[in-house]
Order: sequence, then structure tokens, then C-alpha cells
Amino acid sequence: MKKLLLITILLTGSLFAQVKGNIEIPYIPYKIKTGKGSSVVQANCLTCHSFGYVLNMGKQSKSFWEEKVHKMVHSFKAPIKKKDQVIIANYLFKYYGNGKLK
Amino acid sequence: MKRRDFFKTSIAASAAILGTTELLADTHEPKIYKDISKVNFPEKAPMIVHSDRPPLLESPMSVFTRGITENDKFFVRWHLPDIPQHIDPDTYTITINGMVKKELKVTLKELKTAFEQVEVTAVQQCGGNSRSAFSPITGGIQWGNGAMGCAKFKGVRLRDVLDLAGLKKDAGWVGFNGRDTPAYYKTPDFVRELAMDELEDNVILAYEMNGEDFPYLNGYPVRLIVPGYYSDSWVKMLSTITVSNKYKHLFFMDKGYRIADNATESETPDHLYKTTKPITIMNVKSVIGFPENGMKMYHNSEIVVRGVAWDDGAGINNVMVSTDNGKTWNKALLKQDNGRYAYTEFRYAFKPTQYGKLTFMAKAMNVLGEEQPLSKDIGWNRGGYKYNGIDEVTVEII
Repeated sequence: MKKLLLITILLTGSLFAQVKGNIEIPYIPYKIKTGKGSSVVQANCLTCHSFGYVLNMGKQSKSFWEEKVHKMVHSFKAPIKKKDQVIIANYLFKYYGNGKLK
Repeated sequence: MKRRDFFKTSIAASAAILGTTELLADTHEPKIYKDISKVNFPEKAPMIVHSDRPPLLESPMSVFTRGITENDKFFVRWHLPDIPQHIDPDTYTITINGMVKKELKVTLKELKTAFEQVEVTAVQQCGGNSRSAFSPITGGIQWGNGAMGCAKFKGVRLRDVLDLAGLKKDAGWVGFNGRDTPAYYKTPDFVRELAMDELEDNVILAYEMNGEDFPYLNGYPVRLIVPGYYSDSWVKMLSTITVSNKYKHLFFMDKGYRIADNATESETPDHLYKTTKPITIMNVKSVIGFPENGMKMYHNSEIVVRGVAWDDGAGINNVMVSTDNGKTWNKALLKQDNGRYAYTEFRYAFKPTQYGKLTFMAKAMNVLGEEQPLSKDIGWNRGGYKYNGIDEVTVEII
């Protein structure tokens, strides 16, 4: 896992030539609720985006989370197996759901 | 601006009569995020962090007391996870290809020396800024009011670069791609297209922001600037400009950044409007930067309300402030130093004579007679775009 390399950034180059060296974007260890499906979520979702995207949505309905998974697969072409798509949607609704189906 | 109260009432009424469980849509003041992250991003002051990858950083409201947003507090929004970690300004080139007479590779140095240098101060606002105002929740990041900023950009006219390459006769569209890439080969790349007739002389390839190199996360070393337009087309870390004779069907053009193609640009979750159009130009809007919600302020003290107002460049001519829940409105003082595409700064002095809760409301108006609606009157749309409700800030007078 990437570490915070803030110091590297501060040490590279002068003030007005900010990016002569490598830029490292900090890694934020978002807390993900552990439970049924959490490992599937980590294996599939975090390839493209951080868990911040999930937390930012707040607690939502079953159909909302199903649509999100559908969007990732169909619009953004995430290669998530059918079986895992169901597991992910169920996980999101269980831990980040508002109790409503729609 | 036409209001949609009747429309909403009739939907609610029909739902009641039929006994259906239709989802009722509404709009309200957006969420105010107060949690400033302790994690520092490169070249950035502490920001409201929605995600680290892709980076999504929102400016805290306090920056909107000033007409220019500092580079280190300027919001950040990337779409794709892989952003190059190293850019060498000495070898960086932008390719101009497609329907041009000669394909060009322009270096950063050539950009700074071989063309006329121009400057424009412009508001850069995400089309989904303030999206948390929409209920039920709409697709996309639930921004507060801080997915925007205003900066002075320096660069060269896109038109001049295209002229050097020479447009072929049928050239009708220009596509822009940046150096960010998706994790999977099949994921749509973030490419934006503009029609030739949308390209005014103020569209520039900028390499400087507020007199400095662009912050890395704001698109170093070159970014497309389209004054008056929402920033979905302001491609960062610009790598390729491709001229074509017809519109290419791209995900981020056909699916993202579109709104209901009707007069009110609104719809309901159960009755999505069948056709959509690109969000393009910004509507008239203002926000209050000071005071902030929940602040305690003294009775009989001089409170100076400060904020910024803007539109698509038509021109702000009034910002009105109300301290009695919209019953009466008073003119704020305006400061317009940076041209028509920039923020208009406003301030309004007020001495509270009563204790308890006090709400400030700010409403911008422009030379076309357009003005901000109340937040409840915006009208829901599925993408949560173009929110421009009257801003409200409630403080406690002690």
C-alpha cells in the first residue's frame, strides 16, 4: 500500500517549479465495515476508486446500490462476475443502506 | 425564471389519488461539509476530501469571500484513477491531429513563445456543484457548494493553435484528451468534444493559473479553459486535440453532463424526460462565504456578509441580500475587477438588533434579467446538475 509521501513532495524542486520530481497522491485508509461480502467489495471496487465514493453517497436504498453496481459494470466496464455483483449490492445495502427497497 | 410549483403539486396530487408510492423529488439547500481533512494533497492546503482516488477535493466555504481562489484551495475533480506521477515540462508536447492540414506537436516552450499570450479570469465550476441539494440522491459526487473557484489563466488561444495546424474544410468538432487513464482498457476514456462554432477566442490552452504553474492536481502543465462553460470540458493535463468532421459518440459526452431537454430542465425520478442536452453554459448563481452556518455573532455588532456571484459571462448587475426570510431585499455592494467571466464580489453590512437565529439570503441577478430561484424551486434532474438556488446561511445572534 502507498504511504503518505508528503515530505517527498515538499522536498522536490523550488516553489515555482513544483513538479520536477514525482508526485505522490496520498492514500487515505477509509474504514470499510467488515462483514459478509466486504472482501469481494475490496477486491472489485477499489481497483478503480477509493471507498470515499461509497461513503460520499450516504445511506441509500437497495435499488440505488444495485443501480450503482450496474453502472460500474455496464457504463464503466468493470469486469465484476455476476455472482459478485449480487454480493456487492447486498453488502452495500446491509452496511450502507437506508432500509428501503426503493 | 419559470417556477414549477404547479407541476410538483400535480404530481403529488396524482400520487395521492392513485395511491401509488411515487418517489417525490425535491431540492433544498446543499449539504455544508465542515470536515476539513488533515491529510494534505500535493500543493494543496487542507480541503474537504471526498476521495483520494480519483482525487475529489472541495474548497471550504471561507474561500468564497474572495474574488480569486488561491491555487492551494482550488477544488479538484478527476474522473479516472491513473494520473501520471511525473511530468517533464522540457519534453511535454500536445498533439494536434485529425482533420488538419499538418499534424502538430507543440512543446510547452513553443506554447509560451510561438503564439500570442493571452489572459482570462474565469469561474471554473463543476456541473454537479451543490449536487447534495437534490432529493432523492442523484448520480455523482454529493458536492456541497465548493466544487468551484475563480482564477486568472494565462495561455494561448485554441484558435491560434488550430490555425497553425490548418483546419480542413469539413472540420466540425474538436476533441480533447488528457493524460489520465482508466484502470481497465475497456473503461471509457475521459474525452470531451466541442463544436467548432462553440469555440470563441476566449477558449485558451492555459499553462499558468494565478501567475504560477498549474497545481499538479488542477491539470499541470496545460489545461483547456472554456470561460462561461461548466468545467466538464476543461480537460486537464491536456495531451491531444483531435479535429473531426462529425460528433463521436463518447460516454462522457452522451451519458455524463447532460440535463433534461425541456424548458425547466427538470423531471421526476419516475418520469425521466426522454431527451437530454449537454449542460454547457453556467446559470446565474451566488454563494455566501461569510458568515458560515452555525456561527455565533454578537447583538448590535457590524456583520459584513461577503460572497461571490457569477454567470456565464453575460454579466452580474445585482446581488440582493435578505435578512427577513425573503420578504425584503437590499442591494449589496459589488466589486468587479476581473472581467465578465470572473466572480463578482459582494458585501453587505448588517447590524442585528434581535437575539436568536438570523438567516442571510443572497440572490444574484444578471443583465439579462435572470435571477436565482429559491432552493426549493430548482426542479430535480437525474444528474443533479446546474443547482443555483438562493444561498442561505443561518447564524445565532447572542
